[in-house]
Amino acid sequence: MSFLNPFMLFGAGAIAVPIIIHLLNRRRFQRVVWAAMRFVKVSTEKNQRRMLVEDMILLAIRCLMLALLALAVARPAMRSTTHNVFGQSKVTAVIVLDNSASMGVSDGVQTRFDKARKVAEQAVDALPSGSAAAVILASDIAKEVIKEPTHDLNLARKAVREAPLSDRATDLFPSIEKALETLKGRSAIRKEIYVITDGQLAGWRQLGNIQKTLKSAKEQTGEQQVASHLILISDHEDRNLGVSGLVLSSGLAPLNRPLRFEAQVANYGKQEAKDIKVSLLVDGASADEVTLPSIPPGGTRSVPLNTRFKTEGWHNVTARIPADRFPSDDTRTLAVRAIREIRVLMVDGEPGSEPRESETFFLGHALVPVSAEEAEQYYVKTSTITPAELGGTRFDDFDTVVLANVSDFANDTTTALENFVKRGGGLLIFPGGKLNATFYNQQLASVRKLLPATFGEARGDAAQDEKFLTFQTKGYDHPIVALWNDGNAGTLASARTFRSFELKLLTEDGTPEKAVKQTGGTVPTPSLIQTNFAAPKAILRYSDGSIAMAERALGLGRVVVFASTADTAWNDLAVRPAFVPLLHRTLGTLIQRHDEGANVRVGTQFARRLTADLLHKDAVVMAPGAASGTRDLRRVELVSGTPVLSYDATDKAGIYEVSIADPPTVLKFAVQPDPSESSMAELPAEEVTALGLVAAVQRWHPTLNLREWVEKARVGAEFWLPILIAVLALAALETFLAQYFSRAK
Amino acid sequence: MDAATLATLLDPVAISRAETLGMHARYLVEGYMAGEHKSPYHGFAIEFAQHREYAPGDDLRYLDWKVLGRTDRYYIKQFEQETNYVAHILLDGSESMKYGSGGYTKLAYGKMLAACLSYLILHQRDAVALDIFDNETREYLPRSNSHAMIHKVLATLAAFEPARQTNIAAVLHEMARQVRRRGIVVIISDLFDDEEKVMEGIQHLRFGGSEVVVFHLMDPAELEFKFNGLVEFVGLEAIPNILTRPQEIRASYQAEVERFRATLRSGCEKNHVHFVPVNTAQPLHEVLSGYLAFRLKTSVK
Repeated sequence: MSFLNPFMLFGAGAIAVPIIIHLLNRRRFQRVVWAAMRFVKVSTEKNQRRMLVEDMILLAIRCLMLALLALAVARPAMRSTTHNVFGQSKVTAVIVLDNSASMGVSDGVQTRFDKARKVAEQAVDALPSGSAAAVILASDIAKEVIKEPTHDLNLARKAVREAPLSDRATDLFPSIEKALETLKGRSAIRKEIYVITDGQLAGWRQLGNIQKTLKSAKEQTGEQQVASHLILISDHEDRNLGVSGLVLSSGLAPLNRPLRFEAQVANYGKQEAKDIKVSLLVDGASADEVTLPSIPPGGTRSVPLNTRFKTEGWHNVTARIPADRFPSDDTRTLAVRAIREIRVLMVDGEPGSEPRESETFFLGHALVPVSAEEAEQYYVKTSTITPAELGGTRFDDFDTVVLANVSDFANDTTTALENFVKRGGGLLIFPGGKLNATFYNQQLASVRKLLPATFGEARGDAAQDEKFLTFQTKGYDHPIVALWNDGNAGTLASARTFRSFELKLLTEDGTPEKAVKQTGGTVPTPSLIQTNFAAPKAILRYSDGSIAMAERALGLGRVVVFASTADTAWNDLAVRPAFVPLLHRTLGTLIQRHDEGANVRVGTQFARRLTADLLHKDAVVMAPGAASGTRDLRRVELVSGTPVLSYDATDKAGIYEVSIADPPTVLKFAVQPDPSESSMAELPAEEVTALGLVAAVQRWHPTLNLREWVEKARVGAEFWLPILIAVLALAALETFLAQYFSRAK
Repeated sequence: MDAATLATLLDPVAISRAETLGMHARYLVEGYMAGEHKSPYHGFAIEFAQHREYAPGDDLRYLDWKVLGRTDRYYIKQFEQETNYVAHILLDGSESMKYGSGGYTKLAYGKMLAACLSYLILHQRDAVALDIFDNETREYLPRSNSHAMIHKVLATLAAFEPARQTNIAAVLHEMARQVRRRGIVVIISDLFDDEEKVMEGIQHLRFGGSEVVVFHLMDPAELEFKFNGLVEFVGLEAIPNILTRPQEIRASYQAEVERFRATLRSGCEKNHVHFVPVNTAQPLHEVLSGYLAFRLKTSVK
């Protein structure tokens, strides 16, 4: 026996009420001056005992009524092994419905999710009348469709029936935890959770925690005990191909230039896949197609796909393979912005007497690697100035500024540079013999927080050519250099560096909070992704592990620092073939800094920094596959001093279009499915058996009768109803006796 | 005495009805003057009563010569003497008589009854003595048949205020000792005393030869006991206060009252005493004329 509202037992103190009323009433009487006292005295003496007994009976009944009422309100309950006469006790249930992408696997007639919804509806139907149910949609997050258990089971049914399938990954633990949390605060004799999932292995990555949590919930006593039901809807799909990745290999997407995309196609099945046609679509139109001869089970193949953009602005680029039973991973889309031209300002710290001696000679040629006639048409436009001209230059006329061996400059210039970067400009710094490391470390690194790293000691000797450093040969993590992970793309390792500055990465400023603070705002940015991007990080290292290139973001812009010169004074990188793609990819990163985050994972937040004129404007977001009438409305808010549009309802993969009415602005971003969902690996049978110890496990089959299955386990009863009936009976008895006793005698 | 007091004590309706009926003595009374009432003394009176055989020593004046001449037997003629009587009106003036739930207290009703009876009796030229008592005699007007007597009676009644408990039996015994001449003793009281002792007192009076009439006054509330809720009864006499729920003991109370009255009634009947139960809610004229009519009907002429 336990109590669901034990505090209500204090209400039993109310039995004092009739006693107090009785005592108070003894003070409230009519006073009559009377002559015939002897008759009153005789009859009172005759009736005294009877009246006392009657009073005691009434008082006892009234006290008992209140005590029982307090008991009923405290909701006593007892678990029993048999059905009791009052029928089944009410259940408070939480339906955890897996709506991750893998639930979209179809058996040709219906998807796993269709089946899961039916099972969930059956679970709601099987609840005894008067029960309450909450609904949680489980993916990698717990989405509470019905947060508090509702007694309106029709509402629960509707929530289940209308639950949307997402493209999110699966992690059942947060949802199970949330379900138990929801039940924790509830008063009910029976608490149940129903987890309806496809049993995909990826969803059980926290299996240990799940087992522990369910076990402790099961082993609780009284009303804290929770019975868990696990319904596995799997159909042993062992063939699945998916596009697991799609990237733009060339960092920039200039107009009318050949663009190379890399698509990763993975075989998640157990059989070899052959003749896989991989197509590239730009804005829905077919652009390229490559056929992969075969992918072994568990293998991944990279496919290069080429196209050109004919128009400026945003384009949807989709890699597609033929549809299979899991259609969600058969396409992958990127949002890419085509740009017309990039203006680069090069500041030559050591012009020399003739062009070849210029610090920026190789840089200029690498940035515009075409003949003089074609340079007019080329998308990169360069200008060169001397450090003396820095003072009068408007940085906003350029997209990127390159400082090549510039010793130092005026404070105004530093401020102008900082503002330029914060507004979205790119800054590229090459050191050299003239560089005033103290000035850079103090003014640019510690005061302005512009540099990702400080310049340490210069090491090595440029005059000899025996002792040198080479770049790392493998393990390229940064997107700028990821290209060279593929051996066919050439190598960076051939370049030799004779002399270089030791770059010391600024770790203490790399914490996201501080990085945000530096942008001038006081409010922490809501976008975790962007703040992480702001942290200084190494791009490329030398073979001895020291840093060769480092970058950091600041405001809307980005700064990249090299450890060695831009010309051949300290190294021979400038004459190596890798120099041009390295520079272009760096430039691409600098330019597309504010397009960053245009391609996000499902479920992550999209956040875009916007210009000031869009502040507080309403943006209409149209999600992929959404009905034409459904639009999401968001407002451009000020975050850390910058107008930011953020959107976190990225449950579906594909292109999201954002339009702002005035000034007319159209943005696009693409949401990528999680490749982990493509894996069809299921929870091993022994793990399912182990789960059976903490939950009732049932595999779905077409003739599954959920009601029968759950009702077997569902017994136990509350007693408030019989107690309440007893209270009512006592009330009737009290009324009758009070009338009977006080009748004229 | 002002007219108002007179009017309150003398109910004109009651008086006018009662006058026609008259208050007659039911038994033989002893009086000083020839009046309407039969006297136990036989003599020169007008009313022939009976014959009886002559016994030696009888006054020959009363020998019935006609009978002797006709039958040659000696018979003496006996006559009944008509005389006046003395009515002793005993009014209970104890504190319990102060009670009254409606128009009149029992005492006020008793005073009116006493006044009316006095008037009636004096009007017949009979004598009236008034005794207002509680545990002893409080006010006493010696017998008189003068016309001024009524004024004295009224003034005494009007001035009286009760203050003590009852002891009726003692007063009755005392009265029995005082009454020398057989007359009528009218007791107006609620008789809230030990009924045995009350009956002993009445018996004592009867033993002296007086006719006794008991007007037993009770308030309607005392009879019906219609109280609800929790009531504390504050005793007018010695009994301490009682807190009770009257509706729950009503039946028991009424039975007790009934038993009390039945005891009194049977005791009175045994002693040939008229017991007149009076509910003070009844109009006085009804009570009075009702009783006088009954008395006329049952009078021994």
